[in-house]
Amino acid sequence: MFNEILATCFSSVTFAAAIRLSCPLIIGSVGGCFNEKTSTGNLSYECFMLVGAFFGAYGSFISGNPLIGSMVAMLSGVVLAVIYGVLVYHLSCNPMIVSLAYNTGAWAMTTLLLVNIWGVRGFYTDPAIVSYKVMDWAFLKNYPVLNTLFNNNIGLVYFAYIFAVAGYMVMYKTPFGLRLRGVGINPKASESAGISVLKYRWICLLIMGISMGLAGSYMPLSGLSMFSENMTRGRGFLCLTSILVGKGNPFRTTLVAILFAYASSLTLVFSTYNLPTQILNMLPYIMVLVVLFISGLRSYKGTVDISNDTI
Amino acid sequence: MQNNKTPKIFVNLFNPEVKIGILRYVISFFGVIILGSALIIFQNEDPVNAAKLILEGSFGSMTAIGNTLRWTTPCMLTGAAGIIAFKSGINNLGIEGQMYVGALTAAIVGFAVELPPVLHVAACIVMAGIAGVLWVLVPALMRLFFNINEYVTTMMMNFVAMLLTDYITLWIIMPGFKETSTTIRTPSILSSAKLPTIIRGTSASYGFYIALFICLFVYVLYKYTIKGYELKQVGDNIKFAKAGGVNTTRTFISIFVLSGFIAGVCGGIEVTGGYYRYISNFSSTMGWDGIMIANISGRNPIALIFVSFVWGMLKTGAMHMERATTLNRLTVNLLQMIFVLLVSINYEGIINHIKDKWNKRKMKNQMAKAKEGHYVQ
Repeated sequence: MFNEILATCFSSVTFAAAIRLSCPLIIGSVGGCFNEKTSTGNLSYECFMLVGAFFGAYGSFISGNPLIGSMVAMLSGVVLAVIYGVLVYHLSCNPMIVSLAYNTGAWAMTTLLLVNIWGVRGFYTDPAIVSYKVMDWAFLKNYPVLNTLFNNNIGLVYFAYIFAVAGYMVMYKTPFGLRLRGVGINPKASESAGISVLKYRWICLLIMGISMGLAGSYMPLSGLSMFSENMTRGRGFLCLTSILVGKGNPFRTTLVAILFAYASSLTLVFSTYNLPTQILNMLPYIMVLVVLFISGLRSYKGTVDISNDTI
Repeated sequence: MQNNKTPKIFVNLFNPEVKIGILRYVISFFGVIILGSALIIFQNEDPVNAAKLILEGSFGSMTAIGNTLRWTTPCMLTGAAGIIAFKSGINNLGIEGQMYVGALTAAIVGFAVELPPVLHVAACIVMAGIAGVLWVLVPALMRLFFNINEYVTTMMMNFVAMLLTDYITLWIIMPGFKETSTTIRTPSILSSAKLPTIIRGTSASYGFYIALFICLFVYVLYKYTIKGYELKQVGDNIKFAKAGGVNTTRTFISIFVLSGFIAGVCGGIEVTGGYYRYISNFSSTMGWDGIMIANISGRNPIALIFVSFVWGMLKTGAMHMERATTLNRLTVNLLQMIFVLLVSINYEGIINHIKDKWNKRKMKNQMAKAKEGHYVQ
């Protein structure tokens, strides 16, 4: 039994599931990296993702095209980001309270829309919510392992990895990235160097909104063709955690996101073993704690030391 | 000479801070009324009727008032847990998880242990508090020893708590005590573990008084004791506190412990005074509500009592409204969130900004006049 479980842990099916599940986490967290680098205290990823998921489903429902669904989802992200930006940057609200109100309000809002538009409570499934088609790469067919790992995914999954590389390039290899990192490290110094801090914060917030909307639209449009209440179930928080552990570096954030996706995929493959589902569902969250603990070991000095310089 | 006979409260009313506070609530109230009416009209219902139903459902009868008090109780407790954490600059976002752990502990003590009546309730609630403390100690120790920010760990502990309590209930308690039900829940607690109700026929229990007591305790702690000042000082400026001779480590831990204890007690009271058993997913974002209430009441325990009352009123009223109309009670939830957003706006900053602009313009005009040769004072 134990050997069997171990073999399942490292089977290509598990990794293939991890690659699929990592898509929303990577898209969301790479976009969120930009926001994290310029300003801190935004915890509202869950809200952006859930609202994105709803509007992804709705856009696809009315147009019959998943691409338009994703665009509507991105638009919803922009709208949320604009409200957030006005409240936090211009009316100086506490970002944490705004985020909490967003997260709690998102559930109420999407459920209300679900009730008002489709007239159901709980979940709505309909073939009219057209999902993305899976991509079939003929040349991978000759290599069985690569075939299970990389073939038959929807376009967004490939896009996620391209997006991660692009995000890293923009942040570390372009003048724009240099400036935005400067804004994050010392806003006053960047201001005196002639960089508009507010402009960079706004741009990064919008990047975050767009990418979180896109990440949210993955969920209803990845073949399920449904929207359910609280569909994201804490995935937004996983995005936030990968950003915080990766310290806003897109490359490291992507690695952490893949790790969390791997933990989530284990819950899927283990469900055949008749283990308690509650314990399996805990795996990603336990993984977060373990990752934080390991990355915290470096700053352990053997004594108690309270500082505000936390991970 | 100042008139010493004027009571302090009247002087306070003209304090600019209080004025801004009143302005803040009034503007937010009207903002919510306007947005709420729009939202309700959008759903093809009459806003006036909805408001009437909400008031009727929360104050219309003795039962309604009882239900309002019942829902005020958890808001007050989670809010108090939030206030303690946030006053000291600690982001305890795990109130929800601590509540779940506390609730399950209270339920287990409630149905599995036999004790004399009063002692039994006390044991349930105290054990719930201790469970909450144990749950919060994990993030606290991680923060202390490894400098891991508590807002991620507490948040993750929420999910773990929810799943773990479900697991224990479904796989250990339900087969063990032959509880058969489609929902995940423990057997009902013994009658000796139930908090007596204040108003007959409702679930308003003595938990309300406990919550009131805890709010007042927090108020006194921060207002009149040295310990409270130390707790606050650690949040404001930890280096200063250390230089002043405060044992920062102990204070830091005690903030977590107090916050976790109150959150656990809240779970315990939900079980002993509300549901009389642990039910999976009973809280429905009560913990998050607490954090928001703590912040919109300006981290003031007395204001917290009033805000919690409004929250409880809206919750009971919304249920009544849902029964009587086609409106979903989530409409009210959404409006509560909009209210939170509006209250958190920094009106003082905006007023100062406008004043600044006004003054600058005035100055410009005067300069222009001076150039023309007019006399400027």
